[in-house]
Amino acid sequence: MFRLFFTPGWFNGYDLLFDSIGLVVALLIAAYSWRVYQLHQENRFKYFSLAFLLVSISFGFKIFTSGVLYYFPVRETVAQVLRPAAGAGLKYSALFYRAGFFLQMASMLGAWLLIFLISQKSRARLTKFYEVSQIGLFVYLVLLISVVSNFEYVVFYLTSSVLLALIVLNYYKNYLTTGKVNALMVLTAFLFILAGNLFLVFVFMESSFYAVGELFMLVGFLLLLYTYRKVIRR
Amino acid sequence: MATRRSRLELVFDILLAIQNKGGKIKPTHLMYKSNLSHKLLNGYLEELLQKELILLEEEAVKKKKRPMKVVRITDKGLSFLAEFRRMREFTDAFGL
Repeated sequence: MFRLFFTPGWFNGYDLLFDSIGLVVALLIAAYSWRVYQLHQENRFKYFSLAFLLVSISFGFKIFTSGVLYYFPVRETVAQVLRPAAGAGLKYSALFYRAGFFLQMASMLGAWLLIFLISQKSRARLTKFYEVSQIGLFVYLVLLISVVSNFEYVVFYLTSSVLLALIVLNYYKNYLTTGKVNALMVLTAFLFILAGNLFLVFVFMESSFYAVGELFMLVGFLLLLYTYRKVIRR
Repeated sequence: MATRRSRLELVFDILLAIQNKGGKIKPTHLMYKSNLSHKLLNGYLEELLQKELILLEEEAVKKKKRPMKVVRITDKGLSFLAEFRRMREFTDAFGL
């Protein structure tokens, strides 16, 4: 059976619950950012909304692919549905998992990249052509890394960590500029998500790191939810 | 150097100036408070009137024959202010 991550058996299912929470938080932020875009009509809000939509899409793919992998009845149902396309022996079932994980990785890396670009204050000096060519180059790299990561998952979490470290740096600068508690909360949230990703890099050494990494990611998304609720309820 | 205010920020500044004066303000005072020219302010006031964010009223003043014009913020205007503050908190928090 295809297995990309070294997940501890006892944790199967909990990670899907954690990811579902992350999915909902990301959707809430994407929806609110879209609302801000509709009022301001500025592209950065549209891109920010798209970035969090990509995060939720990534979680969606992960939940679906891992769900099929973990749960026997679901796997059997999917096998029945895919049988005409995949052949009697389901020779291409690995392809299904690879496609699922590819989409998860591509959308997550794309999301981090977008958030990094938006959180950079120097964007004002970028000309349209420069911006488009830069985005084109990054999209290519994200797709390339997503393909490679399907064979070596470490590449995905490592790239994810690098992008998150750059995002954390931008949010640290943002906190220094604004000095607001909410900015500090967002910085802390991304620090937790970064720490989670770093743990996931070393899952090959100790499988329980997967649970720790997922837990850190959950705390990060819960902090984002807390900040979002605090802002909205004002 | 201070950056140029966006159209929405100007609207926010106008409505905030009215709110800070207890919900109503003289047009001349509003011009100074919002730091806009007479022509620009009139353009914005017309737009805000159309969107029902403000009202133009006339108030009788003692010792004066002609009534005084005042700009009053509506409930819709107050809601807009609250929503704009929330959005600014959001954009500040997420470094947008």
